[in-house]
Amino acid sequence: MALWFLRGLRRGVVTTRYPAVVDPWAAKLPSPPVFVPGHLTAALADQLVALCPSNALAREGTHLVLDVGACSGCGRCLEAAGQAARPSGVFELAATSREHLVKRVPLKGDLL
Amino acid sequence: MTPASPLGDVGATGEEAAAARLKEAGAMFGRSLHIRTVDTGSCAVCESEIRLLLAPHYDLHRLGFFFTPAPRHADLLLVTGPAARAMDIALQKTYDAMPEPKVVVAVGACPLGGVYAQDALVHGRLDRVLPVDVWVPGCPPSPLALLQGLLVAVGRLSAKVGGLSFCEGAPL
Amino acid sequence: MIAGWLWSAATCWAAAALVALGASKRLNATLAGWVSAAGGLAALVGGVLLALGGRATGALATSSGPVGGLVLRAAPLASAFIVLLGLVALATGMFSPRYHRPGNGTAIYLSAYNAALLAALAVLVAGNVTTFLVAWESMTLASALLVLRHRSQQGAARGCFLFLALGEVGFALVVVAFVLMATQCHSLDLATIAARAGAVPLAWRSAAFVLALAGFGFKAGLVPFHIWLPVAHPVAPADGSAFLSGLVVKLGVYGVALFGFQLLGRQAPWWGLLTMSVGALSALVGILYAMMERDLKRFLAYSTVENVGVIVAALGAGMTFASYGQGPLGAFLLLVALYHVVNHGAYKTLLFLETGALEHGAGTRDLDQLGGLVRTMPATTVISLVGVLGIAALPPLNGFVSEWLVFQGLFQGFRIPAHVPGVLIVLAAAVLGLTAGLAVMAFARAFGVAFLGMPRTRQAAHASEKGQPLLGPGLLAAACAALAVGAPAVLVALDRVARSVTGVELRPDLLAPDLTVLPAHTDFSAFSPTYLAAFMVGVSAVPLLIYLAARPRGASRSVPVWDGGIVEFKPRMQYTATTFANPVRVIFERFYSPTVHIDRASEDPAGLSGPVHYRMQVLPLFEKYLYAPVVWFFRRLARLLQPLQSGDINWYLLYILVAVVVAYFIAAQ
Repeated sequence: MALWFLRGLRRGVVTTRYPAVVDPWAAKLPSPPVFVPGHLTAALADQLVALCPSNALAREGTHLVLDVGACSGCGRCLEAAGQAARPSGVFELAATSREHLVKRVPLKGDLL
Repeated sequence: MTPASPLGDVGATGEEAAAARLKEAGAMFGRSLHIRTVDTGSCAVCESEIRLLLAPHYDLHRLGFFFTPAPRHADLLLVTGPAARAMDIALQKTYDAMPEPKVVVAVGACPLGGVYAQDALVHGRLDRVLPVDVWVPGCPPSPLALLQGLLVAVGRLSAKVGGLSFCEGAPL
Repeated sequence: MIAGWLWSAATCWAAAALVALGASKRLNATLAGWVSAAGGLAALVGGVLLALGGRATGALATSSGPVGGLVLRAAPLASAFIVLLGLVALATGMFSPRYHRPGNGTAIYLSAYNAALLAALAVLVAGNVTTFLVAWESMTLASALLVLRHRSQQGAARGCFLFLALGEVGFALVVVAFVLMATQCHSLDLATIAARAGAVPLAWRSAAFVLALAGFGFKAGLVPFHIWLPVAHPVAPADGSAFLSGLVVKLGVYGVALFGFQLLGRQAPWWGLLTMSVGALSALVGILYAMMERDLKRFLAYSTVENVGVIVAALGAGMTFASYGQGPLGAFLLLVALYHVVNHGAYKTLLFLETGALEHGAGTRDLDQLGGLVRTMPATTVISLVGVLGIAALPPLNGFVSEWLVFQGLFQGFRIPAHVPGVLIVLAAAVLGLTAGLAVMAFARAFGVAFLGMPRTRQAAHASEKGQPLLGPGLLAAACAALAVGAPAVLVALDRVARSVTGVELRPDLLAPDLTVLPAHTDFSAFSPTYLAAFMVGVSAVPLLIYLAARPRGASRSVPVWDGGIVEFKPRMQYTATTFANPVRVIFERFYSPTVHIDRASEDPAGLSGPVHYRMQVLPLFEKYLYAPVVWFFRRLARLLQPLQSGDINWYLLYILVAVVVAYFIAAQ
């Protein structure tokens, strides 16, 4: 018997109420990283750019460019960055323009 | 390469024009949408997530959205895969067969230029082949993300990611 | 009047036969063709007048001679067949000269063809037994020459042999039947036999009928006597096959009708039931074999078997109704059978002529090598479409009208009080219904695979219809439409024929004043072919008018038809004739019992190392289980009797002595 059926019998309703109510476990899904500029050195940024298997990270002078669209949620940059990155927990990532998905994160050297 | 987009001029008001267009499309089929999926060479995990939309937990039909195999009946083209060149003709034929107004949604990291964009056998970004209205990132995007993408495509939700910075502690 | 037309037809054909002997020159062939066509026109008019006249003419010619001499008399029963003969001669006369290359072979062929036309006319106006038999045999021999036109072709000898052999067996049975009746009625004259038949005991009449049914069945192509049809038709040239299918088999039907309705007086019920059963079975077997054929001419030959089955089933049902006292229904079914004779002659001739044009234009008759001819041979396609719609019995054409009327007659089997005939008639109607459905599928297959889609071979892609004669087939297509729309007029003429044969007056139970056809009873059904045709044309115009009035005027976008996104269509992706008919093969697997050979280059199931060849052979049921044992038996018998032909002259002298002594004793009695 399908688990969702038993869950439904227990709770009364099986179907999600999205978009009215977001499911509580949605934040735990794989998601693009949020960078902490305070810990993000240039050397670390270059390391992360080399690591990313799907061309989502690039270095543009004093900024790290994160292409949220290209990010595959593999988590290698999260593992390597330590304190400099954490999962964003955002799943509502749809965009009407491709440029909205390209984010520029300032590197540590800029914050004085 | 910036191909012609059905959104009209992409300029300062490009975003508003896009939103207006999606709202217009949404007014026509916001409550009753027929979706045609095309796989241009994906690994089929996005297809699994799309298939899950019909399952009882996400239940796409409660939103009035349906899948249809016939592009003649379709309002929205849902494209997965990195736009492999071998699928050019089929994709173009499917797009041409859809009557106006139509919306194109690119799903997953592949048509957005991730993962396989360097490969010689694919275009990489879907907007090199078709004009794209909504981009849904994720690898694969969870069914919740897909739901949000579809609702954005018909104007029932507004896109939020433009306002996010993915940058902790710094001003927006 | 009628005599004048018929004599001019005969003269034209005799003249054409002589002119054609010089047909090594194009001019002679053309002249012979036009004269032959003129003869056909004369025969057509004569036949129509004979039908409308409603009674037999006086003797057209008499001469005394051995065994009764020559007597020619035109009777109404033959009128439909004379009309058909005229129509076929007219169409083929316009077709043949441009179809055949001038040469010696053509000369003999055209000459033999006109001789066959003349002999067929003689059969139809034969007034006594001798004339009938002599004319019949002449027609058979002349037709055999037609089959032999391309004698170096593979299968030509076998085709001619089977045609003659089965023709002779049938002829022998027919001779016995005629002689039986002639000796019982003490006369060789057909009219006298008909008048005196009532006095002959039923046993003799029944024997004569069964012999006639079998004997004429050989010529008509009734199962199991049909095996010459699919063998002789492919080797004969197109107009020869048209003549064989369009006319020669109809003469077999004429013989059955002659014996069933005219010569034998009051029918016994079981004659009609036997005929009807044989006809229905024949129809089903014919169409089942037709469905599996790849060669267009073999396909059309089996379709002829099917249609002759329908005609003979209608005749049999008519005989049954007549024998149970249902005179109007008996006359109605006879009328409908004659109508179907003319209809089938029209569209079958058309289809065979167009198959000839197709063979010349595309180079092959094999369905699996054709395709896409609608683009390269449009006129042939349109004309063939008319023929196909007719033979598949689709409204509003003539095939539909006559099949519909056959069914309307059969459905009234409840009017017979006895149970067994009622059940048999219902079964026959069911079998004919199945046959009609299969016929639609078979002809959809033949037309679709040959003309529609993409060309399957380079030959088909480069087909051309330049130089193909269109006048003859076009005339037949127009005749098909005219026979449908003008059905009320045709039925009026045939009603007079039926009345003179059966003595039953059908109108006004046949035709209401508003062009509605009634099946011999006013309370059963009604149907108007004319209004149906007008209605169908009108209704098809409505969507067109709506589109023209309401089409969107603004900007619109034209894109190709949605095809699933296929990059390129290849001809190999299409249905072949074999695969289209596959469902029928699977359903009737027991009947077909096909032997299947599959050759692979290797055991690789994906077929990557080379092509896989699939060959399927349908079981030739009658050849294997009926003819082969019979032939084996006679061979054994001949081998047993062989010692008599020892070659020793002393034994032969002994035989002569014994024969003389026996003759002396017989003569001395």
